[in-house]
Amino acid sequence: MKAIYGLYETPEAAQRAFSGLRASGVAASDITVMSPEPLEEWEFASQDSKTAMSWIAVLGAAGGLATAYLLTAITQKIWPINTGGMPIVSNWTNIIIMFELTMLGAVFATVLTLLIAARLPSKLSRLYDPAISNGKILIGVERPQDSELDRIERALKAADAEKLGRIV
Amino acid sequence: MSHRWGMSVDLDRCTGCEACVVACHAENNISTVGPEEAERGRAKHWMRVERYWEGEFPDVRLKFRPVLCQQCETAPCEPVCPTYASSHTPEGLNAQIYNRCIGTRYCANACPYNVRFFNFYNPVWEKPLDLQLNPDVSVREQGVMEKCTFCVQRINAGKIEAAANSRELRDGDIRPACVQSCTANALVFGDLNDPESAVSRLSRSPRGSKLLEELGTQPKVTYLERELWQESEGIRRG
Amino acid sequence: MADRLASDLLRPVFQTTRKFYALIALLSGLVLCGVAAWGYQLYYGFGVTGYNWPVYWALHETNFVFWIGISHAGTLISAILRLVNATWRRPVTRCAEVITAFALMIGAMFPLIHLGRPWLAFYLIPYPSERGIWPNYRSPLVWDFFAINTYLLSSLLFLALPMIPDFALIRDRATGLRRKLYASLSLGWQGTPKQWHRLESAMHIMALAILPIAVSVHTIVSFDFSMAVVPMWHSTIFGPYFVAGAIFSGIAALIVVMAVLRKALHLENYLLPLHFQNLGKLLLLMSLLWGYFVFNERLTAWYGNSPHEMNVFWSTQAGEYSPLFWTMVLFNFVIPFPLLAIRRLRSIPTAVVASSCVVVGMWLERFLIIVPSLARKSTPYSWGSYSAEWPEIVIMVGSFAAMALLYALVSKLVPIISIWELKVGEHPRMKAAATVPETETAGELL
Repeated sequence: MKAIYGLYETPEAAQRAFSGLRASGVAASDITVMSPEPLEEWEFASQDSKTAMSWIAVLGAAGGLATAYLLTAITQKIWPINTGGMPIVSNWTNIIIMFELTMLGAVFATVLTLLIAARLPSKLSRLYDPAISNGKILIGVERPQDSELDRIERALKAADAEKLGRIV
Repeated sequence: MSHRWGMSVDLDRCTGCEACVVACHAENNISTVGPEEAERGRAKHWMRVERYWEGEFPDVRLKFRPVLCQQCETAPCEPVCPTYASSHTPEGLNAQIYNRCIGTRYCANACPYNVRFFNFYNPVWEKPLDLQLNPDVSVREQGVMEKCTFCVQRINAGKIEAAANSRELRDGDIRPACVQSCTANALVFGDLNDPESAVSRLSRSPRGSKLLEELGTQPKVTYLERELWQESEGIRRG
Repeated sequence: MADRLASDLLRPVFQTTRKFYALIALLSGLVLCGVAAWGYQLYYGFGVTGYNWPVYWALHETNFVFWIGISHAGTLISAILRLVNATWRRPVTRCAEVITAFALMIGAMFPLIHLGRPWLAFYLIPYPSERGIWPNYRSPLVWDFFAINTYLLSSLLFLALPMIPDFALIRDRATGLRRKLYASLSLGWQGTPKQWHRLESAMHIMALAILPIAVSVHTIVSFDFSMAVVPMWHSTIFGPYFVAGAIFSGIAALIVVMAVLRKALHLENYLLPLHFQNLGKLLLLMSLLWGYFVFNERLTAWYGNSPHEMNVFWSTQAGEYSPLFWTMVLFNFVIPFPLLAIRRLRSIPTAVVASSCVVVGMWLERFLIIVPSLARKSTPYSWGSYSAEWPEIVIMVGSFAAMALLYALVSKLVPIISIWELKVGEHPRMKAAATVPETETAGELL
């Protein structure tokens, strides 16, 4: 079958299910967790590795800065027009444009990284149960081996699952 | 050698007749706006004659000051225009390029002399006045800023004429409309880069001063007067 | 608990009352009047307004600065309070961020409205045009273009990202066409730890980024004035003065909006007196800060006694504009100060009264910065005055109606209080959850 999962009312129950699954030999990376809110203080919901998002944001900022500098300096030199005796490539004022595009670069890089890393937009074809929106936490295994099915089911049930679901 | 156009205004000669104002309107296709709009402050007098009363009766004196675009060397109106409609020419003029103007009116706010005017409406000339428009000067539509250009069309015409006749420009060849029509010869126009021109000599006169010089705009119009004005609260609007 | 929370906050999304339709109709009518007034101004010429020589900036520019100022509400609440982990912010963040997004959009209309030839506004876009010319990056108006667009894009993203989980919530409860809409809006969100982690990291980074952006935006708007050598404009204090004023008016607008939402959407259990107390304290702080800046600006001018500046100074303190000036002081400081400083007086109704006064007072402040200085520039012959005509007034009313309309529409599209963020606030954030005593947990519910 495609997936088997349990729905749990509280994070404690979900944690028990998670630990139970680990104990019965399922690898942590094979366990799917879904929750209606971030639960990072719990072990089952913090399996994720650190993100490089901050560094990518800095990279985006650098890109924005470079873009702004080139935009202003180059276009001011292409058609030099004297305005009030200010320098043709007016760095003090170009700094303002550079600042704005730097910040914009950081923001765009962050959002893009989020969308790519969280694999959004994605089709809701994977394992999912609308009960999550009602506050339930889903702990499950996708594409379980037939041999493991019994152990998985027992581990899920042992943690007081509100509901057990199977997707075939 | 390149030119640097300037003007001198002799306040001791000015009679306040305002022939310069009328000539400017005629030469530069500036429409009149009618009494109601003028009262609302929409008149566009590129050259205006300011009238001040000085002193208390019976020691009252009447003073006139023709004010036009000072063609500042470091013009505060130029850096603030977002579209380069207000920019500086190599001959020292502050150019107003109508096609680029989108009408933000920032230049007018930045100008300390208030010599920039906005076309609040499309200009209208009732027949047959539309026949007297100057073909050398464009007509500006609503939403565009305009101001004195030192009659740049006459400057260009003068240069073309001199080149066509294979001679150098002489001092006095080019006269803007206001200079040409001044009945008291109070206005003098010429090349400040030519040390012998009339305007250069007058700009070096001990009677000379610049308007709002302390603001650092480096205007190219020199005002000549025997004694400095008392520009304090004592002056009422005329 | 979670269930009731979600149903309470999703009720406006799923149920529409007749009053809502009436409100939308009324607001749309007012917005259309504003649009018509702008059309009138475009067709008959800018002269239909009260603008003149030398007062070339007046109501439209006042409204521009006013709305951009209001937009600083969301940034302060969301970004700063998020960064310092102030948990009471949770029900308030989305209300505030929505204000920011819409105030920015409305504010960004006014640079178009105030142009003499708005159909050429694209000249401000930096692209290789056939005219061969680029915008003048030395102009504060071009800085405005970049700053406001950056802030608008960032704020919209800052608002939209945390909406994704709530869109998923609606998707799971909706049927039919609505379900399809929210399915695409939620981008297939599932709520895996990876997605939550990434989302929260992104929010953190954006909060960090959006603070300097917000400060820069209103500073750049202030540069529209301080870069010109106009008496009482050319002051170095304008940058911080405007930012403080923006945050001040933003918080006031937020309090008013929250009070309206609380009544209209029956959110009495979520927008608590505590929130109004805390925001009221912030408003008091900003009122004091505003007073400090105004005193600084005025004392410096008066003490320096420069003739150009003193003409403007006296016209606001004792002359033509003094009624507006002293009304502004009354509304921004005299009335709010006791209402917010004295604890017994600080309540939801008094906070709303103080905030409404501040909104009006701050609008007056923008007007009094712009018009008196232009009316009294350096050469007395060219002094003038300004009185508003109906086109700019109707456009202004239309802008307020547009804000209310957009807000009403958005409260139908998405829960105005962020459900998942509220839920996060309900459980203890510490890893050693077992050691947290019951009383502390209850306190965290807010």
